[in-house]
Amino acid sequence: MFNIDLENVDLEKTFDLIVLGGGPTAIGCAIYAARFAMDVLVVGKTFGGLITTTHLVENYPAITSISGQGLMEMFRDHMNSLNIPYISDEIRSIDNLGDHFELNSFFQKFKAKSIVIATGSERKKLRIPGEDDFAGRGVSYCATCDGPFYKDKVVAVIGGSDSAAKEALFLAQSVKKVYIIYRGKEIRAEPINKQRVYSNEKIEIIYSTNIKEIKGDNSVKSVIFDNGEEFVLDGVFIEIGSIPNSDLVKPVGVRMNDKGEIIINRKSETNIPGIFAAGDVADSPFKQAITGVSEGVIAAYSAFDYVKEINIEY
Amino acid sequence: MSQDDRYKEIIKAEMAKLSKPIKLKVFTSQGTEADGSKIRACMDCGQFMALLRVYEENSNGMLTIKELSIDDNPEFAKRYDLTRVPTILFIDNKGREVIRYLAAPKGGEIQPFIQSIFTFAGMPNYYEATIKQNLSRINPSTIKVMITETCPYCPQVVQIVNNFASASDGKIRSIIIDIAANPDIGQYYDASGVPYTIINDQKTLVGMVGAPEILRALIGGNIRVQY
Repeated sequence: MFNIDLENVDLEKTFDLIVLGGGPTAIGCAIYAARFAMDVLVVGKTFGGLITTTHLVENYPAITSISGQGLMEMFRDHMNSLNIPYISDEIRSIDNLGDHFELNSFFQKFKAKSIVIATGSERKKLRIPGEDDFAGRGVSYCATCDGPFYKDKVVAVIGGSDSAAKEALFLAQSVKKVYIIYRGKEIRAEPINKQRVYSNEKIEIIYSTNIKEIKGDNSVKSVIFDNGEEFVLDGVFIEIGSIPNSDLVKPVGVRMNDKGEIIINRKSETNIPGIFAAGDVADSPFKQAITGVSEGVIAAYSAFDYVKEINIEY
Repeated sequence: MSQDDRYKEIIKAEMAKLSKPIKLKVFTSQGTEADGSKIRACMDCGQFMALLRVYEENSNGMLTIKELSIDDNPEFAKRYDLTRVPTILFIDNKGREVIRYLAAPKGGEIQPFIQSIFTFAGMPNYYEATIKQNLSRINPSTIKVMITETCPYCPQVVQIVNNFASASDGKIRSIIIDIAANPDIGQYYDASGVPYTIINDQKTLVGMVGAPEILRALIGGNIRVQY
């Protein structure tokens, strides 16, 4: 996974395919590319991606129940078994040079005949006073990471999605009380998780409420609701959705929708030949690990076809 | 296969690739029995050492781990400001501490620990060229990374920071702290989120940060793309 393998990898060469990202979409794509005998490199900021923050994954076929981290360890084992090199870095810009691309990071200039963008998404922020000030001191975006700090304390999960419900269920295992604070009238969790939330005595839902400020001293002490009420608690877990990590490819002319998602077709092609996209960063309406992997695998096949074509042209 | 067996397999497979020798020092606390024999006095040290021996035993003799008692080596303890056990120290050939672990390298922390062993031993380090190019702009720095065993982002940050330290010719020192095992340190810094990275006790980076952000925080300004 790490650059232990750098002894055997020439980073100066032109790769058939560079996959950007570290989540299931990226690794699924790389596994297929390696099986197509492509010279493939994965460059990701975070190995595992957002799914590693998921307490339980129970909808990945053939695996009844596993933690997000556990699932990605299996992906890593599979990737390692095929000797696919993975670099922990962040690409800052891409130059389209016609017959190949150059990808620039602070640490290296990479060259590739094709690219798959599988950079996923990142958590949205509330953008309210106190949110940044108390980051790591009572404001969290990852229950799996920070839940253990709130044993027997009172916390709130902000949001009403399935992810918010799962965060609340995870936190309820150790905290004294979890409030789900949601602006809507009914949480949007999958029915199975909604039922689990409703039947959990430690979880209480506060509907039709926004928070407009997070307050505290050294750590979070309360939040202020939009009706002016001050609500005392010890921690705030923000789970209000995500935004696609697509800024990187805007300057290359990759077309996006109004949400900033990369527009792809059924072959995971973007409008730029040689650049493919898959997973949460793409404009697919249903964003799941399994659908991301599927798009990533299709992207690998399309990249394989594309590289084969340009190799013939040489 | 149990999770522990799986981790042992990973350690075995990865450590077998170590091709350069490296020595690590591990400090524990040992008392002396009536018959003169030594017994570990710290609660977690036995398990900790057993874990480290798995790394050592699978390294084809390349990794040597020396266990020292903090009680029997007061001068050394004073020189390196050792107040906690168990502590792992990566000390370079000039006697400089490069990496300190106040954390057990298990679970998700196995990979970055192995990576740290490899780069400290002089095997390829992805960040080395850029760190060396920017050494004149980096002040002597200590980077503390607070982690927990369940944190999915922590191994990435640990890997980056330790590799920076290994490439820095003694200018950067990294300290990896498990705040579940050292809660007082977490409380001292008001850290209730991980990874929690502190540079020279001044700049704090909360959550997952990439290598560019850490380098920027070390240099304190713009960093140009350099190849």
